[in-house]
Amino acid sequence: CGFTPAYGPAGGASRLTDRVEVSEPSTTETYLMTRHLEDRLGRTDTPDYRLSYDLALSEERIAITANNITRRFNLVGTATYKLETLDGRVITEGSVENFAGYSATGSTVATRAARRTAQERLTTILADDIVTRLIAAAPSA
Amino acid sequence: QQDDEAMPAMLVADQVRLDGRTRLVAEGNVEVLQGDTRLRAAQITYDRDTEELLITGPIVITNGEDELILADEARLERDLRNGLVRSARVVLDQQLQLAAARLDRVNGRYSQLTRATVSSCKVCGTQAPLWQIRARRVVHDTEAKQLYFDDARFEVKGIPIFYLPRLRLPDPTQTRATGFLIPSIRRNSQLGTGVKIPYFIRLGDHRDLTITPYISPRTRTLEWRYRQAYVNGRITFNGAITRDDLRPNKTRAYITGTGVFELPRDFVLDFAIESTSDNAYISDYSYSDADRLESRVTLSRIRRDEYFAAELAYYHTLRVNENNSTIPSIIGDARYERRLFPRAGGELRLTAETHSHLRYSNLTVDGTDPDTVSDGRDLGRISAGISWGNRWTLPGGIRAAFRTGVVVDAFRVRQDLAARPDSVDQVTPNAQLILRWPWTRQDPGGVTQIIEPMAMVAWSGGQRPNLVNDESTRVEFDEGNLLALSRFPAADRRERGLQTAVGVSWSRIAPEGWDAKLTFGTVLRKTADPAFSASSGLAGTRSDLLVAGQLKNLNGLTLTGRGLFDTGLVLNKAEARAHWNIGRYDLSASYIWLSADPAEARPSAVSEWAFASSIDLGQHWTALVSSHYDIAANQPISAGLGLIYSNECVDVTLSASRSFTSSTIVTPATDFSLLIGLRGFSANTSGRGATRSCN
Amino acid sequence: QATAFGSGGADPDAPVEVESDSLSVNQGDGTAEFMGNVVIIQGDMRLGAPRVLVVYDENGERIQRLEATGGVTLVSGEDAAEAERADYDIDNGMVVMRGNVLLVQGESTLESQQMTVDLNAGTAQMDGRVRTLLNQRN
Repeated sequence: CGFTPAYGPAGGASRLTDRVEVSEPSTTETYLMTRHLEDRLGRTDTPDYRLSYDLALSEERIAITANNITRRFNLVGTATYKLETLDGRVITEGSVENFAGYSATGSTVATRAARRTAQERLTTILADDIVTRLIAAAPSA
Repeated sequence: QQDDEAMPAMLVADQVRLDGRTRLVAEGNVEVLQGDTRLRAAQITYDRDTEELLITGPIVITNGEDELILADEARLERDLRNGLVRSARVVLDQQLQLAAARLDRVNGRYSQLTRATVSSCKVCGTQAPLWQIRARRVVHDTEAKQLYFDDARFEVKGIPIFYLPRLRLPDPTQTRATGFLIPSIRRNSQLGTGVKIPYFIRLGDHRDLTITPYISPRTRTLEWRYRQAYVNGRITFNGAITRDDLRPNKTRAYITGTGVFELPRDFVLDFAIESTSDNAYISDYSYSDADRLESRVTLSRIRRDEYFAAELAYYHTLRVNENNSTIPSIIGDARYERRLFPRAGGELRLTAETHSHLRYSNLTVDGTDPDTVSDGRDLGRISAGISWGNRWTLPGGIRAAFRTGVVVDAFRVRQDLAARPDSVDQVTPNAQLILRWPWTRQDPGGVTQIIEPMAMVAWSGGQRPNLVNDESTRVEFDEGNLLALSRFPAADRRERGLQTAVGVSWSRIAPEGWDAKLTFGTVLRKTADPAFSASSGLAGTRSDLLVAGQLKNLNGLTLTGRGLFDTGLVLNKAEARAHWNIGRYDLSASYIWLSADPAEARPSAVSEWAFASSIDLGQHWTALVSSHYDIAANQPISAGLGLIYSNECVDVTLSASRSFTSSTIVTPATDFSLLIGLRGFSANTSGRGATRSCN
Repeated sequence: QATAFGSGGADPDAPVEVESDSLSVNQGDGTAEFMGNVVIIQGDMRLGAPRVLVVYDENGERIQRLEATGGVTLVSGEDAAEAERADYDIDNGMVVMRGNVLLVQGESTLESQQMTVDLNAGTAQMDGRVRTLLNQRN
């Protein structure tokens, strides 16, 4: 049916393995995102490609009770990314967007822990989306 | 600026006649250039004795891009800094137009316009502009960037509205000048109709203070904002002080503040504080819709291979079903993670974490507060972990990732008779293998499809000790933690025993067409984990079926949703977000459905949607509509309606919002606000309104 | 009315003295070419150029006009002008200077492509993207 393993000989995704340098993190969410991207793409000190991304997070109140208590938040994230060779040839670029909800009906510490893991889950989802798109564009790398 | 003045002016023309010893008559594309002032005219006669330029129009004088003067006739000194211009029309910052019978230029800094009219509205034929200010005299100080009016009369469509003997307004290029900002009228069902008049005070180059009196029949309020920038950081504080009829002879106040500082060796210190005098204040005046006030200070240093963050936080709850002395209000967190890459390969990861939280109450049993936790319970924990992991591409294109390690936790619980023993520790060895097998297919038109089966098997040793659960009471299950080793949010609960997760995701990526993604997943475990609540979707030996999808099409629609389906495909949870902007419509909506779950303090199902949309009605009108609706209780939570008219010279924002929520501290209220902003004064008017056309 | 160029002493009818390193006369067309540091003096006007062609009237006694080329300087009173070339038509008292004309009058200077001085009317006109600094009067 025309599908072939991406990391197989005809796939092309292996070109990126251990060949991409992901951009340096500076915040908690970019630390989590870069770590997960490196978990999937591998690491190198002599890269052929550079993956840069901008991550924007925002929070929305949802499920508000009649007495104005916020029962749930949506952590919304948008990441624009660009994969380019060292001399600046753009292999692929685009943006991915998703959200992770977390409940706020628990105690203050439960809500803090839920917000922190929502950040981890959201950066994992966005990083996986980016890796999927890099795999799709790998043949032209 | 000084050398500009000393530089002599340069005259250029197609033809110059020398008339006697002292007069030059220049004609044909005549220009005089001096500093960044440029004058063009039809003819200029320069008299060497009087050093004056007699200029006949049409005259165009430009000073950089900020000032443009059109005139018919002028008599200026040699350096263009002093002199008289007849029937001048001045355009400031391509926006504000001043017309005057006569303009006197003084020292290249002041322009004095006599019998002037000032407006930023487009003038069509002989119709009176939407608004204009007539004045006997207007002085424009180009250095201080201020406009001073004498005997000013404000007219709307030619009808005089009010008269001011003296008026000072910042010119359009002024960004930070002390003075009034745009006033607004507010109507609130609790506070009546009031006026807010903001006054900006510039305190040097790095600090400013804005004070905004808000006066209505039922309140005397002073809102303020203070900002300061340092070499290595900045702070911003907002607040208000009130005497009103809602809480007679009681001073009400709130303060919020944020700040961030860059410290040496890449450390960053940032803080945020929120505090209010009484719980109802910030919602009465719609300063904030927070129901818990979090104040925190954080020290962090974040690099690629090293993460350090330490935070001290304080909570004050405004929730009617919480009591400040029995909620964990003082919280300390510190996390450290180090990633090392030994030559032998793979990644060695060291983690360390401490957490403690304190409840004011010293009661060691559960008191009368709504929760079932002993009122005074305090907890402290410390964890240290080490793990090693690596990843390979197996034959056939399977991507394998393996990680193994151990983490040690120690807990102390205080002031909770039910928590025996009160100090506990646990060791959790673990190992995890993740397999991903992505298949791709290139379809015509650059479309790529990817099918990625994925599987994970994980084992965690150790027995769960008898330990209270303060932090891991709300667990979520989505694509972000389908393959996670432990899905509990904090260390006081860890998933143990043998578990496996399987899933498959299909993606369609089309540079020109529509993108789509669909993911299925479920978790199977040898023994069920009682700490998972029913609605978390992870209870039992087989988790709910996770279904998640996203659709992005070319005309601006992005739809994202996920659901958890219990056995028999009964919906347990569903959440969705949509963002659609097409042409004149911009709509974003979100939906949530959570099944009833007493363990998560949710006696009945929660079902709610919220949407916000802006519609460009054309002709400079924009409508804003927003609403929160509680489907389960079948009643609206809040609704908002806004109408904005914005053109090149005026911004009018009319907004109404109705909040239906009510409790002992929150009363249903309707707010109207009308904001009329004149464009063309001070640079902080938002963007350039679309200029109307004369038809 | 003060003359625009020179001190007013320029008189087209005054006698013309010519000095130069060398001279070659062409009887045929009634012209003489002075070569090398040519200086022509008439009244208080002095014209200097590397080469000046002098054209006499039909019967060869009076100079009808001069053509100075190769970089000309013309001084009259306290005014001085330079140009690549100057044509002095003595009969109608017109001096036309062409090519990077630079006129210096006391403190102010004017540059243009061409300058026409009418010695009888006492006027001067400059053409072709005239540029001048309106600088401080001393």
